[in-house]
Amino acid sequence: MPSVSTVASREFSDIVRSKRFIILVAVFSIVFMVGIASIYLTVLSTARGLGIAMPTGFIGRAASVVASSISYFAPIIGIALGCDAISGEREKGTLRTVLAQPIYRDTFITGKFLAAFLAVSIAVSIASLVNVGGSMVILGVTPTGEDMVRLALFVAFSILYAVSYYGIAILLSTVARRTTQSVIVSVTLWAIFTFAIPIIASLVAYMYRPITSIEIMGRPGRNATNIRPSPEEMQRIMEQIRARAAITEAINSITPNHHFTKIAQYILGIPGSIMQSRPDLSIYQGLASAWPHTLVLVLVACITLIASYMIFVRQEVR
Amino acid sequence: MSEYVIETYGLTKIYRSGGGTVVAVDRLDFKVEKSSIFGLLGPNGAGKTTLLMMLTGLILPTSGSGKVLGYDIVRESREVRRMVGFLPEGFGLYEHLTAEQNLEYIAALNDIPKPERRKRIEDILAIVGLYEVKDRRVSGFSRGMKQRLGIAQALLKDPELLIMDEPTAGLDPEGSKTFKDLVSKLNSEGRTIVLSTHLLFEVGPLCSSIAIMNRGRIVVQGRVRDLVSKLMSEEGYKIYVEVRGDSGRFASALMGMDGVRGVRMGLDGLYIDSTKDIRVDIVKIASELSIEVSSIRVEEPSLEDLFMRYYRGGGVDA
Repeated sequence: MPSVSTVASREFSDIVRSKRFIILVAVFSIVFMVGIASIYLTVLSTARGLGIAMPTGFIGRAASVVASSISYFAPIIGIALGCDAISGEREKGTLRTVLAQPIYRDTFITGKFLAAFLAVSIAVSIASLVNVGGSMVILGVTPTGEDMVRLALFVAFSILYAVSYYGIAILLSTVARRTTQSVIVSVTLWAIFTFAIPIIASLVAYMYRPITSIEIMGRPGRNATNIRPSPEEMQRIMEQIRARAAITEAINSITPNHHFTKIAQYILGIPGSIMQSRPDLSIYQGLASAWPHTLVLVLVACITLIASYMIFVRQEVR
Repeated sequence: MSEYVIETYGLTKIYRSGGGTVVAVDRLDFKVEKSSIFGLLGPNGAGKTTLLMMLTGLILPTSGSGKVLGYDIVRESREVRRMVGFLPEGFGLYEHLTAEQNLEYIAALNDIPKPERRKRIEDILAIVGLYEVKDRRVSGFSRGMKQRLGIAQALLKDPELLIMDEPTAGLDPEGSKTFKDLVSKLNSEGRTIVLSTHLLFEVGPLCSSIAIMNRGRIVVQGRVRDLVSKLMSEEGYKIYVEVRGDSGRFASALMGMDGVRGVRMGLDGLYIDSTKDIRVDIVKIASELSIEVSSIRVEEPSLEDLFMRYYRGGGVDA
């Protein structure tokens, strides 16, 4: 029986030799380097201006750069590999040729997934290495053993994140008649998850939990130079901020991006918001805190891949 | 095994889309004899491709049943795909791969053992005349070369039955001739060839038997010879007699014969429209009138006549 590896090896070879893959990895590597350098210069000038020390250690200096770079790169590589996985073969007519051979359809789609998984792993690893290497050279710090473990874990979660987007893209590619349709819908979804949902979440939180600083200003005896709230008022403001954060998180939690950001915060120890100082969690504690978010990404990947599989197996090749 | 390589019974395919239904193949009963060249003829949208897709297990019938090489097309679809070589419309090749790489992949999907694979691929490339260009990318091939490579991939499994969907569309005259020669050669090796086309002139003359499809139904099927005889008996005989002598007197005599519907004068002879074959009687009358008959022949209807008669007329099963 033809094995999954037959499909996977050809697919993998196609992916890594494709211009699309090479260009994506190259462009992102350059963008990462430029990003690291510009962020370093900004942080350096800000730190000097305010007279505060630069963050120390590798994770402290490079983590947020690495995390934000990969948070853009991973979905794009996932979408780039998944959006034409099935619809592309259908459009070129090669799907008919392949499925006219004695091959099970699940073998075909599993082979595609394995190849993409491997390619995504390579792409994310290269991107992360470029990030880390660039950070070491530009920021002038060397990662410790613990930093390396954290980074390795981060790369693994980044691969999972990319695979969850690959799952969304291959599902759309299975359903769509044309690749252009699946590309448009995938990219639109990514843009909604990345840009629109966080804005909507903030607006909704603001509508339901406005912070009443004006009210404080309007109290008798208060003016622009004397606006320090009382302890009770401060407590109320903090509660409002927490409530807003809870609403924002609840809405953002429908996106894979939110869960990846949370994982990055726990694993790399990046401050989440003004309410969250750097967690300083151990690796074990970070993993324990990250697991619900990991589960969501695993579920997104599994559900989309299973749905793609079920649709594809029953689909008519016309 | 049965003398038929394909048998269908009430095979039906109904597509549902946008709330409506389209009957692509409507209760089809037809058979293809072993070692024949069978032409499935009909205009675009007649249901030919849908029928071939059902026969090769790419889509499931809505109702009815069918057997290919003795295997049920639904329950034993994988066996069918193992045994049948299929050339899809557009040839379904990976354009970024070389000719050899395309065949390597199809050979691997058919589980052809590696040691045997290379020799078989080289032999088949030689058969289709592409050995010299085996390392060239398919994207640089002419349409004729792609078609031959498509046939090569279908031949890899050494099939007893070769099904080709619109194989001659877009071919130049040289490509068309090469194709016909190749099909004749493959048929002479004992393979059954099924050709689907809307280009009657291209493959019609190759076929030993045909079926004409229109609007999902087979309007006529059978051996070309039998169908021609049937059409002649239905539509009358066109007899041409070349004579030396008084053709006017001869024409008058023929007009009085039983079955003669009309006589028309030609340059060197007479065209007789008759309801039956009256060649013997014509010779007898000529002899009685002392008119020399140089030649006498029945002008048989061409495949085009058959096609137009049954396609336009809607026809009935032969």
